[in-house]
Amino acid sequence: MKQFAVLQLSGCSGCEVSLLNAEEWMDKYKLAYMPLVASVYDLPPVDVLLVSGSLGSDEDLYNLQHAVRKAKKVVAVGTCAISGGVAHLGDRDEIRRLFLTQNERFHLPRLLPKSRPIDSRVAVDCYLPGCPPTPELVIAALFETPGFKAASTVCQECGRRKAREMRPNHLVGFMKGEVQAEICLINQGYLCIGVSTRGGCHAICTRAGYPCVGCRGPSDAFIEKESQTWFTSIQRVFTSMTDVPPEEIEAELHSPQLAMFLFQFSDYTSDPLVESEKSLRPKEKVL
Amino acid sequence: MTTLVFPLSRIEGHARVTIEVHGGEVVSTRLEATELRGFQHLVHGVPAKQMPVIVPRVCGVCSTAHHVTAVKTLEDIYGVTPPPVAQKIRELLLLGQLIQNQATSLFFFTMPDRLGLASLFQLVADQEGPEKEREEIARHALTVRKTGTDLITAAGGQFIHPVKAVVGGVTSGIDPGTVEVMRAQIVCALPVACKLFDYYIEMSLALRERIGTWGDDEPAYYIASTGKSSPVYNGNIIHVLNYDGIVHDSFTAHQFRDHLNYEDTEYSYAGRTSYQGQVMRANSLARINMADSMGTTLADDYLKQFQQKFGRPAHAILLYDLCRGIELVYALERAIELLEEPLDLKETATTHTPRDGEGYGMVEAPRGPLIHHYSIENGLIMKVEFIIPTVHNMLAIERALMVAARRYVNTERVSLELERAVGRVVRAFDPCIACATH
Repeated sequence: MKQFAVLQLSGCSGCEVSLLNAEEWMDKYKLAYMPLVASVYDLPPVDVLLVSGSLGSDEDLYNLQHAVRKAKKVVAVGTCAISGGVAHLGDRDEIRRLFLTQNERFHLPRLLPKSRPIDSRVAVDCYLPGCPPTPELVIAALFETPGFKAASTVCQECGRRKAREMRPNHLVGFMKGEVQAEICLINQGYLCIGVSTRGGCHAICTRAGYPCVGCRGPSDAFIEKESQTWFTSIQRVFTSMTDVPPEEIEAELHSPQLAMFLFQFSDYTSDPLVESEKSLRPKEKVL
Repeated sequence: MTTLVFPLSRIEGHARVTIEVHGGEVVSTRLEATELRGFQHLVHGVPAKQMPVIVPRVCGVCSTAHHVTAVKTLEDIYGVTPPPVAQKIRELLLLGQLIQNQATSLFFFTMPDRLGLASLFQLVADQEGPEKEREEIARHALTVRKTGTDLITAAGGQFIHPVKAVVGGVTSGIDPGTVEVMRAQIVCALPVACKLFDYYIEMSLALRERIGTWGDDEPAYYIASTGKSSPVYNGNIIHVLNYDGIVHDSFTAHQFRDHLNYEDTEYSYAGRTSYQGQVMRANSLARINMADSMGTTLADDYLKQFQQKFGRPAHAILLYDLCRGIELVYALERAIELLEEPLDLKETATTHTPRDGEGYGMVEAPRGPLIHHYSIENGLIMKVEFIIPTVHNMLAIERALMVAARRYVNTERVSLELERAVGRVVRAFDPCIACATH
């Protein structure tokens, strides 16, 4: 039986919880290391290493570098491992200073100056975006299911229908009460970016009535393009489907909630002098 | 002086236990949380309406609690009251989380200690060995756990970082087809859960026989917001019980600072709270000590047996785990009841107008009362506080570690049972380190 290990760096455990919901691995793989559920403290040689969470402390750095030496294949699971994730919001200069001075502790792992993606330090064979990736997606990354291809966009998987007659004037959002079933969220005045977000999650959020925030990152059409291409494309969608003023869309698009996920394949905040060759993740490696 | 450092596993998050021993005497016991992301700072400047999406990312195990608390905090600031059907769906969401969490804690975190295993998955991996008959324990445990995650999905959209709770209510009801499937699934899972729990109780009694104790049973204060009967997780009042289990103090989230004392910890990235300087405990034992009755048949049976055998209030820490079993059964039964009520109503959210201000929100998470406090200026978050249930238990954990360490350390030797005892003690409290450090 093949062996796999799950290494959690500075993350929330969501990716691990997602894995626990996918029982299929038990028939094909032995779980060799996963401190959340197994009291094993030394990572043995494994076929696949799943890494979640970002590099937040010097202990994360040590654990990551030590672990990848034991693995034949390394998979970056979730937004945090791919681009720093939610902790990246703390990398804004004004926050970081406050953060590093207020949280000094001695004899504990030292916090790194910024929350870094794992491929800033080690080679990664496969990137699995999602916050967290669904159990089905985690299995696909683990098994390398031949012929598995995630749907191209969330919009494609959504199932809500476009209502040509509904053209909202403003991004009203949840101020107006409950969400109508079956009708596209853009027509109802929500900023849904599912049209350019990588599919594969079966559009669980939009089906439940919540606009897509892009946690799987840009679809293949946008993944290697500049951010302006993406902004322009969203504006075009809203102009054709709604009467919301472009300035309103523009203001909403420049938001922490979207920034967390949108730029996870091109690390726009990386230091150009050091990281320029690594600043794009090739779309062939993204599931 | 000798310093013993124990890594921890089968808990959420990164932490270790440090015990200092000098001349056969235990000098100190510390729980050191070793991770930090810094949510209280990193949400500064974020548009307030994005908090229900961002703060669930504090923790993938407790994300449901953070999601609902964030929404309640904004509702407090905007002066919004959601309609009754939304409150019911939020309660279902929290019950789903309780099912998932207690099943994970009982069967994946602490059952291995009772079976002498490193992991419950060893029961599956060892195809030819003596564990083959017990493989179904692992599979049934996963089934019960998944019932919880499926319920969160039905009521919340997705089971990690759910989305359906919004300011004013929930995005939509739950359609009758989904309700029926979910109800049937829980009805099937209930006897499986009871059978697993009965086995768990048996194994716990055997553990008690082997090690000769149920752990630190000195009295403590208890903190819980579920109420005295028919516990509600989507509540609003926090109660503190005294050593005799009597409600001593009650307050809303807004008043927590007048009743609880919060401090940062020098040697840990997690803080700690206390009640008038006293050791305080949150989580299952607190809620069970508070409960006159659970309000559902099987859970009430288990509660009565528990109270007859262990008294009320019960203080021994290994009883926390048994209390989680009672709550698992309660949550399954209560979810079946709620799923029999109409949940497909049209008006699931009231309209609202955002405004600036300051406010508080609270839910009873599986680990205890969770409080969020936000202040909003120009629609942006200026200052936040997260009072995480695990921090209510820090003093209690360290005291229990001291009691355990003293059993296994003397002038002649340190027994290696201490290694196992440290794990059992910490797991009894089911701490969530990602939450506690946030």
